[in-house]
Amino acid sequence: MAWKGGLSPGKAAPDTGEVILKGLLIRTVAVVGGSCLAYAAFVGTFVLQNRYTLPWILGSVLPCYLAGLFAVRHAPSSPVARRLLLVGAWLSLNITVQYTNRWLLMEADQVRPLLAVTQLTQITALVASVLMVRLLALLPDGTYRFSYERVVLRLLWALLALPVVLPALGVAPRTTHLVVFYYPEAWLPGCGAVLLVIRCLLSRRATGVPPERAEASSGKLLTVVCAGALVLLARASSRLFRAWQGDEGYLYFIGTVLGALPYILTSLVVVYAAFRYRILGVDIPVRRSVVYGILWLIISLWYLGMAITLGLTAVQYFPIGFALLVAVLSTALFQPLRTRLNRLARRWVFGRRPSGFELLTQFGTTLGNAHDLARLAPQLASELRSGLGLGWVEVRLRAPGVSDAVYGRAGARQGGKAGSHPLRYGEEVLGVIEFGLKDGGRMTDEDYHVLRSLAQQAVLAVHNVHLNAELTLRVGEVQQQAVELDASRARIVQAQDTERRRIARRLHDGLQQQLVTLLVKARLARVRLQHGGDVDAALAEVQDDLYRAVEELRDLAQGIHPPVLSDQGLVAAVTSCARRLPLPVSLQVQPGLEGTRFTTETEESAFYLVSEALTNVLKHAGARTVVLRLALERDHLVIEVSDDGHGRAAVPRSGSGLAAMRDRVEAVGGRFDIHSAPGRGTVINARLTALPRETPQTVKERING
Amino acid sequence: MAEERLRVVIAEDYYLLREGLRQLLEECRLVEVVAAVGTADELLAAVDRLRPDGVITDIRMPPGHRTEGIAAAHAIRTSHPGTGVVILSQHANESYVFDLFQHGTDGLAYLLKERVGELDQLLRAVREVVAGRSVIDPRIVEVLLRTHSRAADAPLAALTQRESEVLRHMAEGKTNRAIAGALHLADSTVEKHVNAVFTKLGLSEETNLHRRVSAVLAYLHHTYAPEP
Repeated sequence: MAWKGGLSPGKAAPDTGEVILKGLLIRTVAVVGGSCLAYAAFVGTFVLQNRYTLPWILGSVLPCYLAGLFAVRHAPSSPVARRLLLVGAWLSLNITVQYTNRWLLMEADQVRPLLAVTQLTQITALVASVLMVRLLALLPDGTYRFSYERVVLRLLWALLALPVVLPALGVAPRTTHLVVFYYPEAWLPGCGAVLLVIRCLLSRRATGVPPERAEASSGKLLTVVCAGALVLLARASSRLFRAWQGDEGYLYFIGTVLGALPYILTSLVVVYAAFRYRILGVDIPVRRSVVYGILWLIISLWYLGMAITLGLTAVQYFPIGFALLVAVLSTALFQPLRTRLNRLARRWVFGRRPSGFELLTQFGTTLGNAHDLARLAPQLASELRSGLGLGWVEVRLRAPGVSDAVYGRAGARQGGKAGSHPLRYGEEVLGVIEFGLKDGGRMTDEDYHVLRSLAQQAVLAVHNVHLNAELTLRVGEVQQQAVELDASRARIVQAQDTERRRIARRLHDGLQQQLVTLLVKARLARVRLQHGGDVDAALAEVQDDLYRAVEELRDLAQGIHPPVLSDQGLVAAVTSCARRLPLPVSLQVQPGLEGTRFTTETEESAFYLVSEALTNVLKHAGARTVVLRLALERDHLVIEVSDDGHGRAAVPRSGSGLAAMRDRVEAVGGRFDIHSAPGRGTVINARLTALPRETPQTVKERING
Repeated sequence: MAEERLRVVIAEDYYLLREGLRQLLEECRLVEVVAAVGTADELLAAVDRLRPDGVITDIRMPPGHRTEGIAAAHAIRTSHPGTGVVILSQHANESYVFDLFQHGTDGLAYLLKERVGELDQLLRAVREVVAGRSVIDPRIVEVLLRTHSRAADAPLAALTQRESEVLRHMAEGKTNRAIAGALHLADSTVEKHVNAVFTKLGLSEETNLHRRVSAVLAYLHHTYAPEP
């Protein structure tokens, strides 16, 4: 074994001479193997006319050799790759030796071959089996991990002595109990599988925390290897039967079929694991489709070989018509198996790929998270990527209320952009999906269909999020309004109660007292009338008091509701109010507004606002002049009271006067704003919905018309 | 002055006041109350029928209880220019005065209702309006003057105290003689003050007494009217 104890990928680089030597050796092995394969195929088919040549070559030797070539090409320094190639090449050499031997026998017209030739044939077959065991037993990295491995694998070479030693001891090949020793190649692969199982179990136990990759690979390999071991046991038993019954009969056929399996399976496992778990120690820079192609080729070759074997075996035992039928049937029988294997290979290579329908269903459940764009975007990206097998996918979704898009990505963005798909809802663009090249091929129409369907679902989800955000905003506003409304209503009620109490107090403590006093004074006048005294003076006093009472009453009534407001409208009332203010008020009334009447509600609110604002200016502002502006802007009455007072830094939202004004304005659906800054005065601005009112018919109008 | 008693119609919807007023006026024997009615419509009908010298009317009457009195006054002044109208109002608000005088001041008076207690004032107002002149309640004149003297740069501030007093009486509708009597001044002094007031306020001198109130009122009104 030239490469025994070869370098593992992690070790230091060998010197260049060794590398060149190894490269040369590999090439030699490859060329020898290929030549032998071609030679054996030719001799077997055309010279020996052995009907099982082609199936054997196609079903085990060729796949093994091709897999070896593939592995060595991509990982020339990996022991596993080299061993696989060696197994393939050696199998070719083995059948070359076999066929040459038979050919020579045929030429010499001898029935029994020479003992030495037989031994040589047996030894080459044994070597192939031992190589196979070494390959299997040292998976996945091809290096010795445990000391027993080295010992056991070296001891295997001792088996090569059996074909020489056994005849010398006089043991006949068909001696029942010793047949095991005559045909070790029957059970050797099984031995390799068992060794690998032990290795896996030991590795798992030995290393406390094995690297995740090794863990995953040994776990998967274990399953494959166990299945392989079963197959190999079956193969071994068939091989033993064949040993008893010779190279004819159905057992030979079964042996051929099963005999190919170890090589096929090992080749498949190595190629797949090389790609999936880097067992060759390097990242193989090939597209997944190439890997899949190789696996497909191996499976197809095996299928072809098995189908031919079946057909040929049938011809041997049945009439030609029936044999044809069997051949067709066998092809049909193997077809599902092949499909299954192919699908398995595809899944191995590309991972589980859901169908378009599955993808849609799966994404449908994802939409449960649709309220959260930050989660939706990466999920959409990763599902698109895994579903369509794209290199990378980027999703950008426009989030409501913020300028930055929500970003989701699956796969590192490498290579060019293969395409993009906008997410549109009507005219509105809600986001975009960008994606890279598809692994192993172009996007099919079906892929585009799936992409569009997913995009459409995503659009609906994003649109929903937008609607939801808007709704939440509106509900928030409405709730806020409701809260404010409640507070304002409470304040209005409170203000009304306060006002009622004030009026009651003025009535009780003012007017009523005055009237009672008057009663006393009137009585006094009468007493003076009866008993003498200055009646006139008493009555004059009564009259004076009455004047005061009338004045008081007028004041009170004015405070409750200024009559000029209902009689002459807002402008007259406001003007009169301004006149009574001990401050110069500049009135700016839009022309034509004087005669305009509005609904009672509007007029009262407006008047209340103005009088409160003026009172506030008087009380707090320290102003020298006030400007009062009234204007009608479309159907809104605009009231502005600005003063040149000292202003204030912060305008309290609630505060006796201001809150009441705001409440009053907002109660009739108006808007109220205050602008104030220290040293810059205060401006109060209110907009009331102003519906004009029909002026009630007056006497004058009744008279004139 | 009192040889021939003035024929007066009174309009007041509050029955007790109406009857009290009638009694008061008749007992002083200076006027003859030819009719006492309760609504503006009745008032107009009575004026048409009786053609009185003067009318004393409440400002608020059925059916609207608004300013039916003012509307009736305008109607009466239009259809019967010889009939003077005294408005009795509970509103001490100049807006009503401007409303009443919007077509002219002649033969119209605006008194607060409590002036019924000052019979002299009421009778003087009736006589003034019958003579075609006008009277404004002193209380309202006071409000107007107070407003206008407030602004430091207002022309009214330039008036002396005496001139202001004269102006107030002018606005109330008093003749120079009446002003002289009220202020205990000589007629000529009053005349001098009146001229000074007109000059300082920039008004063209109004010799016609009938127009004087109107001019003063117009000044007081429009200098405070909403800016165009």
